[in-house]
Amino acid sequence: MDVTADAEGGFDLSRVIDIGKSIYSLVILLVLWEVVGQLGLIHYYFLPPLSAIIARFIELTLNGEMLYNAYLTLYRALVGLAIASVLGVIVGVLSARNDLVDWFFDPIIKIGYPIPIISLIPVFMLWFGIGDISKIIMVAVGTFWPVAINARDSTRQVQTNLIWSAQMMGTSDRRLLWRVVMPAALPGILTGFQIAMPLSLIITFVFEMVAGGGGLGALEIAGVRSFQSEQVYAAIIAIMFIGIGLDRLLRFTRSRLLHWT
Amino acid sequence: MRHATSRRIEGLPAPIQGVAQTLVDWIPLGILVLLWELASGTVVAEAVLPPPTTVVGEIVELIVTGDVFSHLFISLFRIGVGLGLSILAGVLLGVGMARSDPVENFFDIFLSMTYPIPKTALVPLAILWLGVGTEAAILIVFLACLLPIVLNSYNAAVDVDQNLVWSAQMMGTSDREMLYKVIFPATVPEIMTGIRQAVPIAFIALVSAELIASNQGIGYLILTSGQIGNYPTMFANIVIISAVAFVAVRGFEETRDRVLVWT
Repeated sequence: MDVTADAEGGFDLSRVIDIGKSIYSLVILLVLWEVVGQLGLIHYYFLPPLSAIIARFIELTLNGEMLYNAYLTLYRALVGLAIASVLGVIVGVLSARNDLVDWFFDPIIKIGYPIPIISLIPVFMLWFGIGDISKIIMVAVGTFWPVAINARDSTRQVQTNLIWSAQMMGTSDRRLLWRVVMPAALPGILTGFQIAMPLSLIITFVFEMVAGGGGLGALEIAGVRSFQSEQVYAAIIAIMFIGIGLDRLLRFTRSRLLHWT
Repeated sequence: MRHATSRRIEGLPAPIQGVAQTLVDWIPLGILVLLWELASGTVVAEAVLPPPTTVVGEIVELIVTGDVFSHLFISLFRIGVGLGLSILAGVLLGVGMARSDPVENFFDIFLSMTYPIPKTALVPLAILWLGVGTEAAILIVFLACLLPIVLNSYNAAVDVDQNLVWSAQMMGTSDREMLYKVIFPATVPEIMTGIRQAVPIAFIALVSAELIASNQGIGYLILTSGQIGNYPTMFANIVIISAVAFVAVRGFEETRDRVLVWT
C-alpha cells in the first residue's frame, strides 16, 4: 500500500505524477493519523497511532492468533457460501426452466429475499447453537437468495433463439442445459456470487460478534470489551485484506471464465 | 420484471380471474405456513418454533399494547438519519468526483480501499468512538449506504449527455446553474437506483448495529427476547422488521416510479 512514488531515474514522469495524485491524500491521512496519535491530540483509546496498530497487527500475525481467527472466519463464510451457491444455482436454474418449480419458489423468494437476514441470528442460536455449524447454516441461508435470484433471472434471459437452434440441431435436453443454457447464463450466475460473497462475510462477522466462538468478528469485539483498541483496528486491517483478496479472486475468476464474452 | 410462466388461470371472468390468480400464486407460501403450524409442537418443540398463530397473536398484542412502537420508532429514526445523511454526502461526493479532477484524486483511493470492507465489521469501531446507542447505529447505516449512492451518482454524472451541457453553455448558463439545473436533474434516476440498492443494506446495517451495540430498537428487542427465552416475541419482532423492510423497499419503488415521470 505504501507505494512511495520516487521519481527513480525519472524515465516516466507523467505516470509517477499520476500515481502521486491518486495516493497523496492517503499518505497525508496516514501521516496525520500517526502525528495526531503521537502528540496525544486524540485519546489513545479512540485512535491509537498507526505504528502501534501495525505493531499489534504484526504481533497478532506472528503469534498465529490473527491467522487462526481469519481461518475460522473464512472457513465459516466460504463453506456456507459454497452450500448456498450449489443450492441457489440448482433452484434458480430449475425455476427458470420448469413452471412447477417456479410456481413453488417464486412467492418464497419474494418473501424470503427482503428479510434482513441478520435479524435471524438469535433464531439460529436457538436452533443450532453458537458453533461452526450454526454459523455455516446461517451464511448458507442468507446468501442463497441473491445466488438463486440471479441464476433464475439470467437463465430466463437466455435467448430462445439459442435454445431453438440447438434443439433443431437435435441437442438432447441434458446437453442443452450444460452446453447452451448454463454457459449463456454464467455471467448472471457469477454476478450472484459477487453479491453473495460480501454478504457471507457480513453474516459471519456479525454472528461472531454476537455469539463469539473465535473468528475476526470475535477478535474485534474482544478488543472493544478489553479496551485494547489496537486490536480492533488490527482486526479491521485483516478484514480489509480479506475483502480485497476475495474481491480480486472473484473478478479474476470471472474474467477467466468469461473470456469469450 | 414480472414474469408470467407460472401457472396461468384462464377462462374466468376478469375480476374473479385476478383473485384466483393471486390465490394460486401464493399457495406455496400457504403450504409452508401450514407445515410450520403443524410441525410446531409435534416435530419440533413449540418453544423452539412457536406456531404462526402464536406469532401473529404476539404481533397483534405488541401493536395493541403499543410496546413495539418506541423501539420501532428508534429503529426508523436511525435508518432515516443514517440513510438521509448518506444520500446527502453520497450525491455530493459522487457528483463532485465526476465533475472535478482534484476532488476525484482526493477521494478515489479512500473509496477503493473501503469498498471491500463489509461495513458491519466496523460496528466495534463505532462502539469505540460513540459508545453503545443511537449514534453508533446511525454511523454504521450511514457508512453502509454511502458507497452504492456515491457509485451510482458518480457514474450518472460522468455519463451526463455532453450535448445537454453544451446546449446549456451556449445559452449562457453559469457553472453553478449548470450543476443545479442540468447535472443534478440528469443524474436523479441513477441516484434513485443507488438509494434503491441502499435501502435493504440500511436494514442489515441497522439490525447488525442493534444486535451488537444497542439497548433499544427492534434488533435489540430480537436479541434480548431470544436471550430470556421469550421466543414468540423474538419471532414477532423479526416478522415486524421484515415487513417494515419490505414496505420500505416497495414504497420507495412506487414513489420513484411516480416522481420520475420523465424517464
